[in-house]
Amino acid sequence: MDPLLLARLQFATTTSLHFLFVVVTLGLVTLLVGLQTAWAITGNPAYERLTRFWGQLYVINYVLGIGTGLLMEFQFGLNWSGLSRYVGNVFGAPLAIETLVAFFLESTFLGMWIFGWHRLRRGVHLALLWGVALTAYASAFWIMVANAWLQHPVGYEVRDGVAHLTDFGALLTNPTLGLAFGHVVAAALLTGGMLMAAVSAWHLIRRTPDHALFRASLRIGLVTAAVSISLVQGFGFAQFGPVGQAQPTKFGGGAQRDALVAEWAARFGPGDYTPPVLADVGLGFMILIGFLLGGLWLLLPLLWRDWVIRLRFPLWLVLLALPLPFVAVILGWIAREVGRQPWVAYGLLSTERAVSPVAPGVMLASLIGFTLLLGGLAVANWVLFARHAARGAADPALGRRPGPAADDPRPVPVLG
Amino acid sequence: MELAWYALLGLFLAGYLVLAGYDYGVGLLLARGGPPAHRRAALTAVGPFFLGNEVWLVATAGILFGAFPALEGELLSGFYPVVAAALGGTITVTVGVQLRSRPTGEPTRAAWDRVVAAGSLAAAFGWGALLAGLLQGVPLAADGHVTGVGHVATPFAALAGLAMAALMAAHGATFLTLRLPAEAAAPLTRTARRLVAAALAAVALAAVAGLLSDRVRAATQRPLPAVLLPLVLVTALLVARTALERRRPGVAFAATSAALALPVVGVGAALWPYALVSTGAPGASLSVADAAASGPTLTLLGWLVLPLLPALLGFQAMCWWVFRGRTDGRTPVYW
Ligand code: HDD
Ligand code: HEM
Ligand code: HEM
Repeated sequence: MDPLLLARLQFATTTSLHFLFVVVTLGLVTLLVGLQTAWAITGNPAYERLTRFWGQLYVINYVLGIGTGLLMEFQFGLNWSGLSRYVGNVFGAPLAIETLVAFFLESTFLGMWIFGWHRLRRGVHLALLWGVALTAYASAFWIMVANAWLQHPVGYEVRDGVAHLTDFGALLTNPTLGLAFGHVVAAALLTGGMLMAAVSAWHLIRRTPDHALFRASLRIGLVTAAVSISLVQGFGFAQFGPVGQAQPTKFGGGAQRDALVAEWAARFGPGDYTPPVLADVGLGFMILIGFLLGGLWLLLPLLWRDWVIRLRFPLWLVLLALPLPFVAVILGWIAREVGRQPWVAYGLLSTERAVSPVAPGVMLASLIGFTLLLGGLAVANWVLFARHAARGAADPALGRRPGPAADDPRPVPVLG
Repeated sequence: MELAWYALLGLFLAGYLVLAGYDYGVGLLLARGGPPAHRRAALTAVGPFFLGNEVWLVATAGILFGAFPALEGELLSGFYPVVAAALGGTITVTVGVQLRSRPTGEPTRAAWDRVVAAGSLAAAFGWGALLAGLLQGVPLAADGHVTGVGHVATPFAALAGLAMAALMAAHGATFLTLRLPAEAAAPLTRTARRLVAAALAAVALAAVAGLLSDRVRAATQRPLPAVLLPLVLVTALLVARTALERRRPGVAFAATSAALALPVVGVGAALWPYALVSTGAPGASLSVADAAASGPTLTLLGWLVLPLLPALLGFQAMCWWVFRGRTDGRTPVYW
């Protein structure tokens, strides 16, 4: 088997899996910041309960964001050693910045937030959540800087076949960065809002206790999702211009593309320089979903006098639509990443040259092993997420008063 | 400039081994089974530090990629099997610890604990074998690529992996004697002392295997640190043992921490000025200077890290300070 194909398959599976978790992380943390801040300002215990319930789900989802992210980070070195060899001087910088500026603090803050409920002063505890949210956005930003550079390399010069950094500012003003970042963040908010609305809808359909709590989160989720889908559409359509300019081979034909392909053929030898159709399929269906979800706005008038709950069928619609944003984010990444093939760094480094010179057997074992490991953990994670979502807000473990743990069979924690 | 970055890389790697080392050590202790409340108390002791410990690895990998891109590619792909094992273990522990208490049924929690124990073993073994693999040199071809991955499968690497697992188990038990309520700590002191003895034996075995290996002798650039390393490790472990006997858990913990940090320093110093020593083509060895990113990248990262480092260490210290002391009935329980 071809190691290149195996490495690409592994990257595609792990990134897709990673992204399914991190969109939720980014979306929910934003809503949580709102909820906990409201609690701190008003002192209303309803907000505390909302924060604990959604915080519990957020923390469960976070687990696999870390798990899959760890593999992502090492995968560059394991499978794509050519990437660090030829473009590491430039591409490595934003990744290093991300780990230090964002992840390192994010996890430190989150640990203190989870364990700080009855230990820290309210203001400090709230500040920690703000810290988690800001560093999560910072991590998304820097990873997008890295990715945007692969889409459209700028601010470098090649000496002895290796790219060297010349202008870091150019990485930050990359035309494939700003709008994509806006699009991804809006998509994350959309996904978080939809998730919140759908879980609440489930409870309202089943008429579980806590009607008031789930009514509140249904409203928050729906408004967030509706506003976000408009942002998603706006940033999405705005991307066509700059991305089409920077990557003439991405969105189909044109004279510009033919000129570029001819230039590459002259420089790098003949070859197929057009991306697989999969990219267009991804783009098409993502946009379809984007239009469909625009319908969220139709539900907002029904918030008046709780018609959305009383009519019941809107609740079913929200619940059934929950997979759509998840499918769309994967399709979007397929459009972006497959659409730049056969390049890792567009027009600079081909995917073929970036893959590690590792035996196919090793690569295959790694693909199978890690896919099974992460797949299994992801399923376990989703099952636990669903169970906790269904259990309701009665007494989440997050933020419970210390003391004998209510869900422990034998309470006295003494070791022997 | 390269030396400073190499030292920073070493600092984060050593920090990872020390901090996540007690997570994995506690994870290994879960393999003993025992009453559910005991296992949960052990995880509660790790509690607030757990997430902040594992990120030292993430930061290590980030610095490796940003400041030593050429090393990153060859190191990770050249040691593919041990890195994959260590990474699989790390992921398993990270996920397992955070999820084990979400189900309420005790059998499910016990099953998760076994998963965590297995992951801890894989992680400890993998990182230990990787450090040993560096000491025995790698088959670098003239084009600078590591050829094959079979080179790492030696008795020395295997014994070093086991020694790392033994060290972490002893470290984890020592951590618990420091963190658990005093009445729970006493019986654990016995366990910790036995584990320190086991670690002494494992380190001695690995050291003998290293001395006997021609590859290690050939790859070592500076014999002094290479010989000193096992000696100081043994000293640190003896100090830990005495301190445990005299009921000085703080001193014992400092000693086991040193035992986990020192291998990083020892390996780095023994190979200096190289990062990867070639057993294949002579002259193919990768020096630290050649592995480093070019000037502008290092300068950029340097301006960033200088002000950032105090903040990073400061917030970690804040976490240790806020949750210092022994756990008690008022300690939040979550994992
Ligand atoms: C738009 C957002 C986004 C994107 C495109 C990526 N990530 Fe991610 N990642 C996050 C947003 C995020 C996050 C929301 O910030 C996470 C989730 C949990 C966390 O700690 O941060 C995260 C976690 C996370 C972690 C674990 C951090 C920890 O242990 O705390 C690593 C190592 C990575 N990611 C690495 C990557 C790599 C190498 C990516 C690209 C190929 C990548 N991520 C794409
Ligand atoms: C997290 C969301 C992401 C998803 C879902 C995603 C998806 C994908 C997919 C599907 C591929 C395979 C393309 C193919 O083989 O044809 C791929 C490749 C790749 N992506 Fe991403 N990607 C994501 C983020 C990123 C980011 C943020 C970076 C850079 C930091 C990145 C760098 C790469 C690289 C290096 C490859 C391998 C080379 C290649 O096949 O093009 N990806 N990604
Ligand atoms: C009318 C709707 C939409 C339009 C016009 C649109 C447009 C685009 C375009 C042109 C790209 C490719 C950029 C590139 O190749 O570099 C893209 C990528 C992407 N889309 Fe969309 N999109 C829409 C809806 C959505 C929805 C509903 C989601 C998810 C909830 C989504 C998530 C993504 C993601 C994650 C990417 C990859 C990152 C990026 O390039 O921004 N999109 N979108």
